[in-house]
Amino acid sequence: MSPSVPRLASASAIAGLLLLCAGGAMIATAQSSTAPADLIIKDATVMTASHGTIQHGSVWLHNGKIAGVGATVSAPPGATVIDATGKYVTPGIIDPHSHSALGDDVNEATSPVTPSMMMIDAFDNRDKALYQALAGGVTSELLLHGSANMIGGQAVVIKNKFGLSKEEMLFPNAPQSIKFASGENPKRVYGTRNQLPSTRMGNFEVMRQSFEDAKVYRREWDAYNDKVAKGDKDARPPHRDLKLEALADILRGKLLVQIHCYRADEFLTEEAIAKEYGFKIRAFHHALEMYKVGGKIAADGTGIATFTDWYGGKYEMWDGIPWNAVMSMREGVRVALKSDSNDHIRRLNQEAGKMVHYGGATEDEAITMVTLNPAWIMGIDDKTGSLDVGKDGDVVIWNMDPLSTYARAEKVYIDGDLFFDSSLPGFGTTHFSGVMHGSGFGAGEDDDDDIEGGN
Amino acid sequence: MPGTFFERSAAMRVFGISASLVLSASTSLLAQAPMVDITPPAGTIAITGGKVLTVSHGVIENGVVLLEGGKIAAVGTAASVKVPKGATVVDAKGMTVYPGLIDSETRLGLSEIASDRMTNDTVEPSEEIFPQMHVYDAFHAESEHIPITRFNGITNAIVAPSSSDTIPGQDSFIQLAGRDRDSMLMVKDVALAMNFGEEPKRNGRGEGGAAGGASRYPSTRMGEISQMKQALIDAQEYMARRGGTAGAGESGATAAAGGRAGGGAASSTLLRNEALIPYLKGEKPVVLGVYDGHDVETAMAFAQEFHLKVILSHVTRAQDVLDKIASYHVPVIVGPIFDLPTANERYDAVYSIPGELAKRGVKVILASYNVSNSRNLPYEAGFAVAYGLPYDEAMKAITLNAAEAFGMGDKLGSLDVGKIANVVIADGDPLDVRTSVKQVYINGVAIPMETRQTKLRDEYWPKK
Repeated sequence: MSPSVPRLASASAIAGLLLLCAGGAMIATAQSSTAPADLIIKDATVMTASHGTIQHGSVWLHNGKIAGVGATVSAPPGATVIDATGKYVTPGIIDPHSHSALGDDVNEATSPVTPSMMMIDAFDNRDKALYQALAGGVTSELLLHGSANMIGGQAVVIKNKFGLSKEEMLFPNAPQSIKFASGENPKRVYGTRNQLPSTRMGNFEVMRQSFEDAKVYRREWDAYNDKVAKGDKDARPPHRDLKLEALADILRGKLLVQIHCYRADEFLTEEAIAKEYGFKIRAFHHALEMYKVGGKIAADGTGIATFTDWYGGKYEMWDGIPWNAVMSMREGVRVALKSDSNDHIRRLNQEAGKMVHYGGATEDEAITMVTLNPAWIMGIDDKTGSLDVGKDGDVVIWNMDPLSTYARAEKVYIDGDLFFDSSLPGFGTTHFSGVMHGSGFGAGEDDDDDIEGGN
Repeated sequence: MPGTFFERSAAMRVFGISASLVLSASTSLLAQAPMVDITPPAGTIAITGGKVLTVSHGVIENGVVLLEGGKIAAVGTAASVKVPKGATVVDAKGMTVYPGLIDSETRLGLSEIASDRMTNDTVEPSEEIFPQMHVYDAFHAESEHIPITRFNGITNAIVAPSSSDTIPGQDSFIQLAGRDRDSMLMVKDVALAMNFGEEPKRNGRGEGGAAGGASRYPSTRMGEISQMKQALIDAQEYMARRGGTAGAGESGATAAAGGRAGGGAASSTLLRNEALIPYLKGEKPVVLGVYDGHDVETAMAFAQEFHLKVILSHVTRAQDVLDKIASYHVPVIVGPIFDLPTANERYDAVYSIPGELAKRGVKVILASYNVSNSRNLPYEAGFAVAYGLPYDEAMKAITLNAAEAFGMGDKLGSLDVGKIANVVIADGDPLDVRTSVKQVYINGVAIPMETRQTKLRDEYWPKK
């Protein structure tokens, strides 16, 4: 086996499953058991995110997957039917940039290169931020390392099944993402300690040297694996180094690269470095100046996960304008909106609504920015993010057009199972009982200087 | 660029006026925020055909609003209001017309780039009791955030120091346009800011924290109240010595209280005490910032002891004392409404507070407590509507209730004859995130709908 990053997550998931089986009755809490085999949401305005909006449409969920979407669906007898007349249905909202449920463990800000940090190790599945996001219609999140480091840690992708175990909340078979940063945060964090990097030159030097080291490491392992493949029984494995292993995986294209980056010049530098070392950048995050170079970046196939209208918190945010998302989209960039905040994650649908105002996005385009496009950024768009047959039953019923200020998520389904229902007393949760944990940071502010190193 | 609203010929004349204002105001300093001369134009502007939200007396479909000499000259139906000959007619058919919005707490003009200390003058952290700090001394009229804020229909704001001192200073009431600072300051000292609870603690964290994380006084709620009481007692004694007249020379009596408050040269005017006098007399309101229910009760008991005229502020964790809050019969600024509920609260525990308070007869006000997010004030009101605040009350929360609480109810906050002509035209419901503001009038002047951000937008707008 090559020294690629083993999915620690899947190993522990299996262990968790075994425990559940051993527990016998405990298995009753697994999500599949409470979802009806067939659920039909009918007579709603259905915003599919992939193929427009259907007036008086229906969505049929079968065994947790979407089995039909359209003006009519072939309703099997005995299906649970929800009359959604006057209501709107969308895919679950997806946040491609969250630091929720990571406590105070967002930044391993002790070195500018920490690619072997696994965010799953900090993930607290009882954090109230997950519940509050669920109540805002969010069904999946990318939980990222902070932005203190040029090359930070590896993200965890979750399904927001609040109340289930940590393992059950992991998005099955989601690709692994890694967080990079650039600009003011790394240079501030290390510069104030009089360490490298304290400038943008330093930032990128640190990055290039890391990839030079990774090239050597990769070559050694490739040579070893070649020998093994040829049956050389005397081949001795090189030293296994978790940091270099993760960097080598970037060069091998095994990780989706997510880069915190604000300025136009830095997008260009990042793309040049990626080409030099032979990897792809999946998305720039924040990306407030993408409207200046959108055409060039679109050609590289990199998307963005951006704020709608946040600007001015630091110099590199000074040219942020609320038209950025729509202008970048018109230049061909795949655009997602994201929260980077335990507050904004609760109302990404209204953030999408602002795109109708700032730049004239259509309602379908706006919905795509908080569903299908973030799913693509996270590499899960084949499984969720739109209402298409075969995809996961991640669906939200809204009291009205979700792009309105007045919209509220009424029911949130994940894998066909109801996880939130605002008509229920108490929290409105269906699988949660017990005690929620306070959030470690990001409480209320989307200010990425609120925490040490930035987020 | 989007928008065709002003392409009608009559309206173009208005647009022409504003365009020439931009040229004369900015001349070669194009990088500066557009400082706008708000001397009212001669003649009458007639905004016709729109849905007029008066705030004070209902909605008028197909209404007419006349602006003259910087004031609102008439408001009514097309049938009842005659458009004078020669008036500049602005066709607002399909539009909504409403009074300029008021953000009841902001740091506008005190903070430009949050991360750069040299562009921030939000609070003086060396001491806690600083009633003699006046935000107008720091207010930067050329702040780029100001045009960006008014672009979304906010025409007035209260600028307040940030809340890490128990008494950080006095607020100013500003107009979001003018040729210079003085023309933007409507009331220089409009209210006294006071804060109680976690934020003012000198416990080594936060803005007021002592260097090195060490604690100093006050590091507890007990300390905060004791400190504020002492300050007010010092000022009362000072006032008594001077026969209750602010600014009169000290009569020679030795200051009773020790420390800085009572010290100083016997005959000198002590600014700290002077500053508190109008508030001790109940002439002006104090904005009492407090979040938690039990803190509300403590702070109000203190305020009542000194007969302060209170505007309560924040109360986002005070769900348990809403009846009590109503019993005080004071205006309440709620927010930010996007404050997060604490662990084990329902997700809408904060969103629903404005509605719950209004149900109990409280005059609810909403504020951004922010700089760059001040422009989102109307959406905060929209959220309050989604969670139970009646729509009319939500409009009042960002207009008339705010104006009245700060003593400006006769000048601002509704579309009524004689009020200052701060009027907004938008292409839909002002509280909806999808709505675009098309024109803002301040003092009857059509404000250029141009900001640093629109300039960047227009420079880079995709060609195809």
